[in-house]
Amino acid sequence: MKRNKIFLIVFTVGIFLLSSLSCWAEEPVIIGLQAPITGDYAIEGQMAKQCVEIAAELINQEGGINGRPVEIIIADDGSNPKDSALAAQKLISQKVVAVIGSYGSSVTEPAADLFERNKMVSVGYGCTAVRLTMSKDRKYFFRTCGRDDSQGQFFAKFAVEAMGWKRIAIMHDNQTYGKGVAEETLKYLEPYLQEGKAEVVYYDAVTPKEKDYSAAITKLRETQPDVWYYTAYYPEAGLLVRQGREAGITIPFVGSNAVPNDDFVKIAGIEYAKGTLMTQEPMPQDIDTPISKVFLEAYRAKFGDIPSSPWPIYAADGLFALVQAIKNANSTQSEDITNAMRSMTNAEGVTGKILFTERGDRKDIPYAMYEYNDEGKLQIYQP
Amino acid sequence: MGIFFEQLLNGLTIGSFYALVALGYSMVYGVMKLINFAHGDLFAFGSYVGYTILIWGSGRITQIFGIWGGMAVTLLITFITVAIAGILVEKAAYRPVYPAGRLPLVVSALGMSIFIQNGIMAVWGPRFQAYPSEVVPSAAFDFFGIHITLLKVFILFFSFFLMAVIYYIVEKTTFGAAVRAAALDRETATMLGIDIRKVIFFVFALGPALGGMAGVMNGMYYRSIQFNMGWNYGLKAFTATILGGIGNIPGAMIGGLLLGIMESLFAGYFPSGGAWKDGFIFIVLILVLIWRPTGLIGEKIAEKV
Repeated sequence: MKRNKIFLIVFTVGIFLLSSLSCWAEEPVIIGLQAPITGDYAIEGQMAKQCVEIAAELINQEGGINGRPVEIIIADDGSNPKDSALAAQKLISQKVVAVIGSYGSSVTEPAADLFERNKMVSVGYGCTAVRLTMSKDRKYFFRTCGRDDSQGQFFAKFAVEAMGWKRIAIMHDNQTYGKGVAEETLKYLEPYLQEGKAEVVYYDAVTPKEKDYSAAITKLRETQPDVWYYTAYYPEAGLLVRQGREAGITIPFVGSNAVPNDDFVKIAGIEYAKGTLMTQEPMPQDIDTPISKVFLEAYRAKFGDIPSSPWPIYAADGLFALVQAIKNANSTQSEDITNAMRSMTNAEGVTGKILFTERGDRKDIPYAMYEYNDEGKLQIYQP
Repeated sequence: MGIFFEQLLNGLTIGSFYALVALGYSMVYGVMKLINFAHGDLFAFGSYVGYTILIWGSGRITQIFGIWGGMAVTLLITFITVAIAGILVEKAAYRPVYPAGRLPLVVSALGMSIFIQNGIMAVWGPRFQAYPSEVVPSAAFDFFGIHITLLKVFILFFSFFLMAVIYYIVEKTTFGAAVRAAALDRETATMLGIDIRKVIFFVFALGPALGGMAGVMNGMYYRSIQFNMGWNYGLKAFTATILGGIGNIPGAMIGGLLLGIMESLFAGYFPSGGAWKDGFIFIVLILVLIWRPTGLIGEKIAEKV
């Protein structure tokens, strides 16, 4: 009986040793993904996870990083800044090589600080607030998405010059991202305001996570604007469009780039979502690069449809950029990776060439005006 | 002036949700002296039950009974389901710890709240769910320049009807007298032959069931529901209960309605009031409590239910 037990233990330990031996042959490069898998922005986190998985598969098919496969570890930041620090801490303690993440600007900030302190490269994929790269010198922080000031500039020009909207209403949610876009928009509207070409008739914030915005909507309606620009996230945007239309507001609703995704259409209802406009980076289906076709095909084959928002694509690009930087540096030391990220010119992602500025921002991101059509899908807006 | 009435109506609608949830808090507190933290999550549970019934067979209920009939059936099934859930919560989480005193009971209630919230997430997922649009009447009309949807009118009338029924049961029937007696002095009531278990059964069935129906109406009105929505409503309803006077039926109703109206008017008339309205409400609450520590209607000697 006793001998049996000893045999069993030896046998089990042996199996474990054998199985780990086979892994030693090619030690994987472990990259962390910090994303909102649960919480209010769960859909954006889940799609990011899927996109990064697909990107990792494509990279590994091509031979990984000099023969070493890429492996992804996921940390859920629950869409809030408090859990973001915990998620970041988890990745730091697991000693990942670098991190992709996260989605929201308010959520990314505490994590970026932690990664900075621990000298770990992190690449944001949906955090567009200007202050992330401009308020502090962050040596190890990058982002593959654009910045709010270029979006504000795009809206200001589009609204006044292309559409001739005179009375403009801007609504935000007092969070890092929402307030940021609103302030940048106001800044770029300033010259038009002075020329008397436009007027900001409403500029106010709503509280996120609430259900009833009827008070704010009634107030906005009274200012009789020509356009209603909402510069924050989709859960509130869906409710606002719905409650606004039900309260009899018929003017164009323009959402900023955190509004469009399938959950927005679901919350607003397709009857109210159709015809809403979005200031937006090119959507996955409108991207035409060498990688995009292969990537979107692989994504569609595995998950049925292509991602319904552009952000998860930037998460995949985060991985493509990191992998190229590690290849260029031929090292997994943060110091080498961060230098390689700044200087590299040969990184190709789903959205095209990935170039970073000295401060870690992505260069050359175009914006477009999108419209939801009758089927609840985004298409480029033709006025 | 039209705007003022519209904001008032907005506030009344929000307030009637708060009031229905607050009723459950107040009833349970009256009899058990327990703040049932799981109450807000039972409200969310009700919302999901209604959602499932309406989605079931892609709107079969609506096809059979029509829009209004479908709503009635959905509300009725939700009422029964959430009532059963309320009784189970009491049996599982409160009855076993009741002899241990009040503090373990509060901890148990918090645990139950987390349990229900995560249970909803496990079953229905963490993403937003949307009530289908074809099951809700979408008619709207203008009334002296005020824009009103038919659904809003229904919600207001149905909430007031429910409140009136509860008021009648508790204040005018013999059983209501037993409930009030149990709230006033549990031991004496037991000695006089009142079956306390029946009373507890009653408040734990009816309180959550009211909240559950409010959850369904909430889902129909705002269309989007999420697993953690109960927390916010629970907190607001709890505030309403304190404002009106805890353990007091008319107090909970008035507290809820008042809270909704204050929120709406403050957000509508103060610059950036939307962002500051919760702060404003708590200032009002503190002032009321300084002036009347037992809430607006609550009196020390008042009968508590």
